[in-house]
Amino acid sequence: MTATAAPARLTVGIVKFASCDGCQLSLLDLEDELLDVVRKFDIVEFPEASTSRSPGPYDVLLVEGAISTEDQRREITELRSKAKTLVTIGACASYGGIQALRNWMDHDAVRAAVYAHPEYIDSLATATPVREHVKVDAELHGCPINQDQLRELLASVALGRRPQIREEAVCLDCKRRGNVCVLVASGMPCLGPVTQSGCGALCPTFGRGCYGCFGPKELANARSLADSFLVGREPADVGRLFAGFTAYAEPFRSIVTEMGGIRMDPTGPASARPARGGNA
Amino acid sequence: MVTGTNAAEALALDNATRAAALADGAAQPKSGPWFLLRANLQVLIDELRADGRKVIGPRVEDGAIVYSEVTTVTDLPEGWGDVQDAGQYRLSRRRDRKLFSYNMGPASWKRFTFPPVVPLNIGRREGREVTFEPAPLDPPRLAFLGVRGCELAALGIQDRVFLGGPYTDEDYRARRAAAFVVAVNCTTAAPTCFCTSMGTGPEIRGGHDLVLTELDEGFVVRAGSAAGADLLARLPVKAADAGQIFRAAGAIGKVAATIGDPLPTAGLHDRLLAQFDSPQWAEIAERCLMCANCSMVCPTCFCSSVTQRSDLDGHVSTSERVWDFCFTSSFARVAGGNFRNRPRDRYRQWLTHKFATWIDQFGTFGCVGCGRCVAWCPVGIDVRKELMSIAPPLAACPETADCKPVAASPTEYATARIRSIRTETGDVSTLVLGDVDSVFVSGRPGQFAMIALPAYPPMPISISRYLPDGIELTIRAAGPATARVIELGAGAELGLRGPLGTGWPLEQAVGRDVVIVTGGIGLAPLRPLIDAITAQRPRFGTVRLFYGARTPSDMLYRTELERWARNSNIEVALSVDRGDERWRGPVGLVTQLFDQATWDGSRAVGFVCGPERMMQATAESLEERGLSDDRIFVTLERHMECGIGLCGHCQMGKLFVCKDGPVFSMAQLGQVFGREGI
Amino acid sequence: MHGTTGIEAPGGPRPGIDHDFNVAYITRVEGEGSLRLRVRDGGVVEARLSIFEAPRYFESLVVGRTPDEVIDIVSRICGICPVAYQMSAVHGFEHLFGVEVDPQVRALRRLLYCGEWIQSHALHIYLLHAPDFLGYPSAIAMAADHKAVVARGLAIKKVGNQILSTLGGRAIHPISVRVGGFSKVPRRDALDDLRRALDDAVAGAEETVRMVAGFDVPDYHREPKLVSLVHPTEYPYNHGRIKSSDGVDLPVDRWDDAFEEIHVEGTNALQARTHDGGVYLLGPAARMTLSPGSLHPMAAEALTRTGLADVIRTNIYWSIAARAIELLHACAEARDLIDGYRRPAEPKVAWTARPGRAAWATEAPRGLLFHRYEVDDRGFVSAAQIVPPTSQNQAAIESDLAGFAPSVLDLPHEEATLRLEQLIRSYDPCISCATHFLDLRVERST
Repeated sequence: MTATAAPARLTVGIVKFASCDGCQLSLLDLEDELLDVVRKFDIVEFPEASTSRSPGPYDVLLVEGAISTEDQRREITELRSKAKTLVTIGACASYGGIQALRNWMDHDAVRAAVYAHPEYIDSLATATPVREHVKVDAELHGCPINQDQLRELLASVALGRRPQIREEAVCLDCKRRGNVCVLVASGMPCLGPVTQSGCGALCPTFGRGCYGCFGPKELANARSLADSFLVGREPADVGRLFAGFTAYAEPFRSIVTEMGGIRMDPTGPASARPARGGNA
Repeated sequence: MVTGTNAAEALALDNATRAAALADGAAQPKSGPWFLLRANLQVLIDELRADGRKVIGPRVEDGAIVYSEVTTVTDLPEGWGDVQDAGQYRLSRRRDRKLFSYNMGPASWKRFTFPPVVPLNIGRREGREVTFEPAPLDPPRLAFLGVRGCELAALGIQDRVFLGGPYTDEDYRARRAAAFVVAVNCTTAAPTCFCTSMGTGPEIRGGHDLVLTELDEGFVVRAGSAAGADLLARLPVKAADAGQIFRAAGAIGKVAATIGDPLPTAGLHDRLLAQFDSPQWAEIAERCLMCANCSMVCPTCFCSSVTQRSDLDGHVSTSERVWDFCFTSSFARVAGGNFRNRPRDRYRQWLTHKFATWIDQFGTFGCVGCGRCVAWCPVGIDVRKELMSIAPPLAACPETADCKPVAASPTEYATARIRSIRTETGDVSTLVLGDVDSVFVSGRPGQFAMIALPAYPPMPISISRYLPDGIELTIRAAGPATARVIELGAGAELGLRGPLGTGWPLEQAVGRDVVIVTGGIGLAPLRPLIDAITAQRPRFGTVRLFYGARTPSDMLYRTELERWARNSNIEVALSVDRGDERWRGPVGLVTQLFDQATWDGSRAVGFVCGPERMMQATAESLEERGLSDDRIFVTLERHMECGIGLCGHCQMGKLFVCKDGPVFSMAQLGQVFGREGI
Repeated sequence: MHGTTGIEAPGGPRPGIDHDFNVAYITRVEGEGSLRLRVRDGGVVEARLSIFEAPRYFESLVVGRTPDEVIDIVSRICGICPVAYQMSAVHGFEHLFGVEVDPQVRALRRLLYCGEWIQSHALHIYLLHAPDFLGYPSAIAMAADHKAVVARGLAIKKVGNQILSTLGGRAIHPISVRVGGFSKVPRRDALDDLRRALDDAVAGAEETVRMVAGFDVPDYHREPKLVSLVHPTEYPYNHGRIKSSDGVDLPVDRWDDAFEEIHVEGTNALQARTHDGGVYLLGPAARMTLSPGSLHPMAAEALTRTGLADVIRTNIYWSIAARAIELLHACAEARDLIDGYRRPAEPKVAWTARPGRAAWATEAPRGLLFHRYEVDDRGFVSAAQIVPPTSQNQAAIESDLAGFAPSVLDLPHEEATLRLEQLIRSYDPCISCATHFLDLRVERST
């Protein structure tokens, strides 16, 4: 009788660009399921959690963080060639994240500046989604990503099926839960109707409006929602509502550009630091 | 007013009173109406819970009135009401202490009968074997407290959807059977309510176990089922007195009057489906967020998806049914693409299903007029406004939901006075009648009246024009009776019954091209149709009138023909069998006017009147032009005595011309039309 | 010193003893940093923790935003300690606006912070640091031989996350912290499951203390200057005074009276010093040393049993024990807080913005986190300064690297490198936090 060899585990790499680390942490936050996950997946590259490194190739590469320097751009391009399936995890990798707000700033003014460290000029220009640089096979949205969706993604990769990530508004999760709509019943501005579900309608469940951290849903009619917010509000205040963690994604991007409300001019005091310091 | 007697005392007292009343033989039907003091409402809740039921009722939570568990009367929203409008909902404080003086909140009872997530089965795979274990059906025993008329209707609608067909949803059946319904008649209305238009309220007429109507001091109670009567027998009620019954009815009546009829629905099915290509859909899509909130709060929306949750090995997977909606992206997706990618298509799907095709599928509207979709739409899209904008009732024919003809039975006649008579041709005259019953004035183009003169047989005559204060009848002196009528002269009276029969379905022509083909006096029943078209000319496409007569002097309404052509953008094509010295137009059969034409009839509706052979030939020609047989309408003539389908004379196959017609579509007529001897 | 001016080999130069230690990407720390240590003639000529993570510009991003928006934004500076950023920010604003929160809200915020400490310390101890002591490249590898240990660590971490998601909606970037309180507060019975889980967490934390107390730890001692919040009765989280082991005593909003940030060449992060250029240390060792009496009795007792109080102060490698004690403290205090909780009538109080300086410091798991915002007269932030604990510890890290290096020069290169990396890990650095900022001085030439 021949013993059936255990099927080879899929190799997984987890890498980080400009981000807070929260999406990688979601993997570690699988906690008791983490040990199940490593039965099916051989995590070969995960600097946050392991000194064992691997330059690839990887069956699955999970990428966190926005691309904001030339080095990062080179690195993601190289990583792409070593990854069979590349999945961006989180708002930073999928949309540029909160750092993408600086994409609205006047780049020329930035470049004309005199820096303490000129070699960082390139790092200041933009923070962009991974898909603007390489082909992405799947995206998990959210700031941070949702663990159920992460589980679903891992299961679908393991089983070779399409991930069941529902493309619908946050409103569906909200009403399925039985929440009372904060927009209609309390007048709180809420981006739920134009935001991709995935968090389980957290914010309305906790009595505040959605701030769009999962990004715009398909066919998001941000224009119509923004128009309804304009009743009794200044355009800049409405623009700021969309200038959050997925501001760079269309159609939020156009609303932010049109209505303003965020800092476009990088000149003037950015820092509250006293004017002291300099090179040590 | 509620007095301070404690519940147990009240119970003893009332049972005694009731027993005494019964013993006296004071006949009180078991079902009511009874009266339950406010102080005793807790007994109702307690009895329901004693039956092992969880009572679900209204509670104030998170700024709205939602349905969740109640155990005491103090859980109920005493003194709370709501202020709602499109896209807006706020709770409000009332000055009274009523418990049910609120209107729709975001939740509907479908949360409990059709929950958002329901496990379907657990699938297991071991090696090459698979097993599917259905999820157990073990619904909780519930009592719904506070179900409104529209909500009852919604439950009935979902009953038809899930239980009325060849395949049923057993989870729904079990949950529905496990729910005891205590309905409450509405005593307030919100600006978003329109149950009256949808025929679902406000008064509750059936589908409940118990129904309450709230007055300040308590509730008028009736049972609606055996289970309800059983429970009622355990409550400390006494017979409702006349004053209480009167006040209860008055409160409900006031609600109906407040709501009015915001959305006339007669003919809505046809009107709406005729507007499939309306540019309005795209306009709505500019506002619609595709967020699906309208369908989520809707108590009848029933669509769902099936999702799988499995472990990483795929060996065990739970399959669940979850709420899903036609607004979501994946709803109409298939491997090659998506059948409904555009927002305008999705919105159209929802609205036309709710207000038109639902009738074809399930026999009723899908909408119950609860108004939730209006209030809970984040951008305040109001379906009533949208429907009135896309498919308004036709102005020329005010549609009343039930328009009973006057003097419908041959035993009675109303009278009218001839104001004037106009000679049209050698043997055709038009009578202008005044002093007619107002019902006549709101008849439909294509209907007819039975006119009578003592000693003469009654005659069915098409109404050839509707005036603000009368009607016109165009009559050919075909025999002694019709000749006599024409001879009567202005000022004489005659007898009238009607308006009878079906009319031309003008709603089906809105947004389309119109082709009218007729000859001789056949133009008479078509004239009101043309009046209606010219009154709202922009709503129709190209309008073509083909009219033939034996000779030019046999043509009716000649000045009006010119006026229609000149002022109303109607293409009028005339033909005669035999011309006279001044005739410059075509000579020949009227059908020859378009036999060689090149216009495309696939977007047209046809209205035809003339001898049956002529109508038959015309219909064939029109079909060759591209009109489908369900869009070609003819009007038939048969021997009529009663005009209401009871004398049997006008039978044609399975149809009574007076009652099922006289207007029919060619598709309706099928084989019978044009056959010898039918 | 950064990049050092040179430390002579103790006992005189050792010619020929030249080493270069380079770790391009330090693993098992949060964020991206590299280690570079150069030894010449037995003396350290350069010890540098280089942070090459891309700067993310947060102090610019919050300009022009409202206080509640700022709370959401600064949370994203760190995925492991988002609550710390939310707490320092919200208290700063409330201090400026004169907002007094309900005492139950104050307690809930402590409970929230307990959740973060539990999650962060358990993460550090079990996933990031214990593998070093037990000789594994990762906790995942460790689990093959020590499944129960790793499972225990993950279970404790899970309870921390449960606290965060119960109070804040989700563990990473919770959503309910608002100026004036919370957007929603739980009913008492909603905390029942948590209360039960904390019993297991307390037991697990006690096991953790026992486990780490038995670790084999390199012998390296010094007397650092310690800085933390100190409160008369509570172990420091959100309130207290900023104190140091050498006499600094400041109100909680006046960090800049004694400290400053400096921009040092070769790194994307700022470092901090005392005004006279001194180096100092934040974190569990500082807190525990400066506030020994306000530890939860269970934690105090555990500390006494280990007998490690002194070495926690002097040997940075014992920080893992300090974290374990704090882990136990947080679990025990969280349990007590739930027992004492009564749902406040209102989740938050109304407030009006005032212009001025909104500043505050709270104790993140890794140490003191200071925020300062300038608020304009429309209520928007016009400038910001955020000083994370890792920036402040960076100088101490480098000083310790330089001081420790001579003692490992005789070990095989790989092992020496591991020891150096482990020293960095002992600080539990949060590098993403440290690189939230880049000082941007723009001068236009017209």
